[in-house]
Amino acid sequence: MNLGNLLRHVSLKHIRLQRAQLFIAISGICLGVAAMGSVDIVNKSVIHSFEDSINHVTGRAALQITEGESGFSEKILELVQNVPGVEYAVPVIETNANFSGGSERSLMILGIDVLQDHKIRDYSITDETADIPDPLLFLAKADSILLTRAMAEREGIKMDQEIRLQTVLGIKTFRVRGLLDPEGPAKVAGGDIAVMDIYATQMVFGKEDRIDRIDVSFLPGEALDTMKERIQHVLPEGYTVDTPAARTRQVEVLLDRFRKSMGLISLMAVFVGMYLIYNAVSISVVQRRKEIGILRALGVQRSEIIRLFLGETLVVSVIGSLLGLGLGFVFAKLTIGVVTQSITDMYLKTSVGDLAFSWMDVARDAGVGILASLAAAVLPAVSSARITPISAIRAMPYSEDGILLGTKIKVASALCIFLSALVFAAYKTADVSSFVRSSATMFASVILLMLGVSLFTPVFLKWSTTFFLRYLSPRLGVGGRLAGMSLQKGISRNAVAVAAIFFSISLFVSSANVVNTLRNSLFDWLDSIVRADILVSSGHPLATGGSPFIPMPLEMLKELEEIPGVLSAEPYRKAYLSYKGRKILVDVFDVGLRMEYCPGMFAEGTREDVVRLVPGRNNIFVNEGLAARYGIKLGDSLFFPTPNGPVRFGVAAIAVSYSSDSGVVGMDINTYRQHWHDSLVDVYELRVKPGEDISRVRAAILEKMGKERKLFALDAAEFKEEVKKMLNRSFVVTNAVNIITLLIAGFGIVITLLASVLERTREIGVLRSIGMKRAQVLSVIIIESALLGAAGGLLGSTTGLLVGWLELEAFFRSDFGASITYQIHYASVAWAILLSVGFSALAGFYPARRAAKTNIVEALSYE
Amino acid sequence: MSRFSILGCRLRISDERRHIPTWSVVLLILLLSVTSVHAMSGREVYEKLHEVAKKTLDHKMDVSMTLFDKGGGTRNRSLVAYAKRGDGEAYKVLVLFNTPPDLKDVGFLVHARTFADRDLWAYFPEFKKIRRIPTSSQDDSFFGTDFSYDDFGGPANLDDYSFKILKEEVLDGKPCFVVEVTPKIHRKFTRYVSWVAKDLWIHLKIEYYQEKELYREGEFTEVRMVDDIPTAFKGLMANRKTGHKTEFTLEDVQYHTSFPDDLFTQRSLERAGK
Repeated sequence: MNLGNLLRHVSLKHIRLQRAQLFIAISGICLGVAAMGSVDIVNKSVIHSFEDSINHVTGRAALQITEGESGFSEKILELVQNVPGVEYAVPVIETNANFSGGSERSLMILGIDVLQDHKIRDYSITDETADIPDPLLFLAKADSILLTRAMAEREGIKMDQEIRLQTVLGIKTFRVRGLLDPEGPAKVAGGDIAVMDIYATQMVFGKEDRIDRIDVSFLPGEALDTMKERIQHVLPEGYTVDTPAARTRQVEVLLDRFRKSMGLISLMAVFVGMYLIYNAVSISVVQRRKEIGILRALGVQRSEIIRLFLGETLVVSVIGSLLGLGLGFVFAKLTIGVVTQSITDMYLKTSVGDLAFSWMDVARDAGVGILASLAAAVLPAVSSARITPISAIRAMPYSEDGILLGTKIKVASALCIFLSALVFAAYKTADVSSFVRSSATMFASVILLMLGVSLFTPVFLKWSTTFFLRYLSPRLGVGGRLAGMSLQKGISRNAVAVAAIFFSISLFVSSANVVNTLRNSLFDWLDSIVRADILVSSGHPLATGGSPFIPMPLEMLKELEEIPGVLSAEPYRKAYLSYKGRKILVDVFDVGLRMEYCPGMFAEGTREDVVRLVPGRNNIFVNEGLAARYGIKLGDSLFFPTPNGPVRFGVAAIAVSYSSDSGVVGMDINTYRQHWHDSLVDVYELRVKPGEDISRVRAAILEKMGKERKLFALDAAEFKEEVKKMLNRSFVVTNAVNIITLLIAGFGIVITLLASVLERTREIGVLRSIGMKRAQVLSVIIIESALLGAAGGLLGSTTGLLVGWLELEAFFRSDFGASITYQIHYASVAWAILLSVGFSALAGFYPARRAAKTNIVEALSYE
Repeated sequence: MSRFSILGCRLRISDERRHIPTWSVVLLILLLSVTSVHAMSGREVYEKLHEVAKKTLDHKMDVSMTLFDKGGGTRNRSLVAYAKRGDGEAYKVLVLFNTPPDLKDVGFLVHARTFADRDLWAYFPEFKKIRRIPTSSQDDSFFGTDFSYDDFGGPANLDDYSFKILKEEVLDGKPCFVVEVTPKIHRKFTRYVSWVAKDLWIHLKIEYYQEKELYREGEFTEVRMVDDIPTAFKGLMANRKTGHKTEFTLEDVQYHTSFPDDLFTQRSLERAGK
């Protein structure tokens, strides 16, 4: 008898009869594969889009020269142009602006030397393909701007039309003097890009004589490394000469955080799927015992029985994986916006149009789904082969409890948990640069822990039911006792349902506690550093949806201080530096003034040290994450590249800061201006005089200064509330996956209990016949399901707390520092258990109704 | 070799000693006539053209331009161009725009050491910056017109081109050499065909080709003599690809001017030539 015949004539019948079970099993695998697939798709799409943007913007440039965030003198251009082997060296400014009014859409402004830029990039303003009626006028007027056709159509803008954009120097009027076809840079960022002549950009955006970058192409035959060396040789120290691809590598570092968080969720989802498969196959084995016995009696070999169940699992898993791949696209669509916003904020306006994927990733994700399912089905498939024909045909009792409660499983459980601890210890003690210190290692530790605990569920369930029977069931009457006894009889089957709940609850609890820890830590920190009453910026401080900050000039400080009711105004600038290949954040502010009323939080050193050592001197403080990553201690020296060459900065303190997971440096604003010649401000933090009405002062600010530029004057208390909401929003996807996982696990309980009710049909018939009421039957099943939920909930909550701690240790503490202490959210633990019990009880309602409606006569004759 | 020298060869015809058929004599005369048409080579035509062009290197011209876009819209400009001849092939040109107001005092400066070695700068008053125009941009539009920088920048270096006379033709009542000019260096056009008026040695018409496609054509009319120098007072250049065309009119022309060297400096450009 071949497998194909068995599948066709035996399996198909059961598939038709057990649609619900099948649906649940498929859903489990589908979700796991969907989570993995979405991570890969988002990753690939963002990288692809960013690379595309880079390529279109950089064109034929083989090398790019940059220096910090605030740009550098255009005089450097001549040095580069004179390097032997350089074909073209063209200056570039990249900055952002927002439409003032209307959609307030943000756009990237590319400032280029329009007379020569076409040598590097694929377009020319003098080319016939560009629609620029008067190139001379475009060059001659500082308000000239070229838009892409796509953007012009979107915004309803025509040629020669005036538009108003929010810039560093306030709201400025521009005239559209040309439209670009979608080629070269005009393809970047979904067409949200505008081109201006470089001198016009400098003038309008307050760049003075600075440029952001020089793009360089070589003469034919020149080698990249040689040219890099030649160019580096003529440049002052502090300038970076690198290929355009290097910027993509920096983005990959940023995406790493996303991959880590979603990776853990995918893992959990796959585990849930595996347990559901295990559950489904186990129940199927039990329900088809007689059939298996008959098949064996007819000569079907044990191996063929195993192959039958594995074959069924293969079909189910293939369907589940394929559906999961499709669902993965949906998840990717939901999360892509959040990720691309981070890239835009830090690097370059990026807009992902079409989602990108690789067939390799697709095959791998589907493969994982299928292999995980087969792995989950192996044990019950093997056990099905042990069913002897005689026991099956005579309907003799069969239980896998012996296996699952056996020593081997207990040893395996303990071993997995021990290995998990070992792997974690290895991770913590490994050097930062070692391959052991990677997310893969931490995932392995978490997997081993989850596996170990899940293997422990039969034992835990047995203990729980024993405890229940001894101490709690007497209070619940006959129903309680029967429920407990019933659970004890089907430990293996029930343990699988418990394991599914366990996974879901541990995911829920770990997420809740990590979020709680991050939220509380962030809030404590925010409270310590944001003591202002009003925050003034040109973009909403927590803008999402592509509306970045447009910096403001420092000259506004005096005007703000003159507004009635304002006690003091303090400028804050957010800059980025390259340090050892990573972009680190530099928090720039008036340290002396800030420390007067902000306590700050310091892990090493004190506020007094900072006040004494930092203002006006080449001293800084760093955050714990940066200190931990590079082994920085108090008193160490760090060298940062500046436009005038590298400068030594002394470390005066190590602070608690969650501004960036790449590392944070705190610097006094005068020191920063001295070295980087950057007098722009991102946020003004205002304190209001005692007794003054904050909203009145806000109104006065907008009245006085809101005409020349779009301003936001946010109440600092509202700002902190917005941060909380933003943090909550950032976990929406995680919460969604948690809920779905819980739902699927809940369905697992339904299936488990339905199978149990079916098996106990005769037993229920007997109980009914001796006088048990329908309501009592109902209560037995409900109590059973509640007990399953309680067991899963307790186990899941405990493990979830541990997993949350592991996640914090591995993924957050290393980035943000030791001060981020794990804070248990007891309410979420209690909720988790209640949810688990309640949801399980609800899940048991349908099987309970089925059991209660059992016809006594039919039940007694059931076989 | 001139036609007359060929025909100066004496032919001996003797019925007694040798019979040379009449038809062969006629054929010989015809052959000589045909070859004598290309007594001048294409290069020689352009050498003549250059001689005339060199005479114009000291000048002041007031020019008005009208730019026509493909939709029929027009933009008017006026400018003044100063030029000064230097030693050998050297020359300098200063162009300053007068109108429209948005373009007032926008300027253009050329310093040519030889015909092939030129530096170009542009000045935009709003930015108060002098900008170097890269040499390779000389085929690009001259400030939004259909003329290229080369068209206004002065005569090209003859060694960078090869010349071939295609035919002779009468255009606007003037006999012309039709010369095909092919660049030896990379240019935006693959060749151009020019109608050079004989005896005047100026362009009357010019057609630019990219491969086989005619993409730009110009006509120069109202030719008048100014100080014995033939000058086309009207010109029209049309770009077939974009549907755009530019018409210029010389309002006033002065040759043999003698401007000081400091007029042709970047400082002068910034001072708008004042």
